[in-house]
Amino acid sequence: MSPGHHQVISNTHSFNNNSFNNIVNFITEIDGEGRQILKWLSPLEPQQRHQSVRTDRLGSVGNWVLETSEFRKWRDAGDGCVEPVLFCCGNPGVGKTYVRYEGF
Amino acid sequence: MGKDVAVVGLYCDFHAQKEHSTTHMLGAILKQLASRRGIPNHTREAFREAKKEFGSRGLLLPDMVDLLKMTITSLPRLFICIDALDECAPKHRRELLESLQRIVLVSPGTRVFLTGRPHIDDEIVGCFRNVLRIHLSPTPGDIKSYLEMRLADDHIPKAMDNELRAEIMRIIPEKISEM
Repeated sequence: MSPGHHQVISNTHSFNNNSFNNIVNFITEIDGEGRQILKWLSPLEPQQRHQSVRTDRLGSVGNWVLETSEFRKWRDAGDGCVEPVLFCCGNPGVGKTYVRYEGF
Repeated sequence: MGKDVAVVGLYCDFHAQKEHSTTHMLGAILKQLASRRGIPNHTREAFREAKKEFGSRGLLLPDMVDLLKMTITSLPRLFICIDALDECAPKHRRELLESLQRIVLVSPGTRVFLTGRPHIDDEIVGCFRNVLRIHLSPTPGDIKSYLEMRLADDHIPKAMDNELRAEIMRIIPEKISEM
């Protein structure tokens, strides 16, 4: 067992608890090899940054984005829609990161 | 949104461009799916193959794209969100967009949500011809809510009085609208 084994377990644990927005609630047993595989796939842990963004976000700020026809069209369109990509652009500091979170 | 919807996210970071290789970024998407839905068999097999080699080599980009494609085709609906795409190194950004394009082609239920500064628009359009766009700027209501939150969180409340508060609430929104 590698020296980092316990670290891997705790990371995986918080990973499951902090699933993005808790939309997907498939509780999956990840075995020892599974934990190695997750680590092998990527060293990045985007869910950690997600938690801090989620904590810092302020209530209803940016909710207008959800009401735009662009957002609705993008979210609700059926399979194979011709516009699968939505790009929210803005200058530094306008709050792009925070909008991104509350979109889901 | 129902339970057959999966949402995965990535944050690009100018200060961590080296760690954010395209393979690592796509790997982080697969990792999020695998940790919630179980490790797909093909991913497990790829890992066992790689482990046979000295030092358990990492995946190459085309292999990672293939694994993601295979995983995603079984999902009815997937939202991939990538924040601050402009902070990604240009080479990685191009590879990432091209990979996403290939993934979306085989998986019609996949939607991609990107945020970034306006200058990367051409690169996105270069990969996805039809792109929906929202130009973000804070609304007066957003600015007011934010200022109220910051004022309520004041650590030196004695320094604040009604006059100063009113001035802050008036001048800052004015200055922002001039920007």
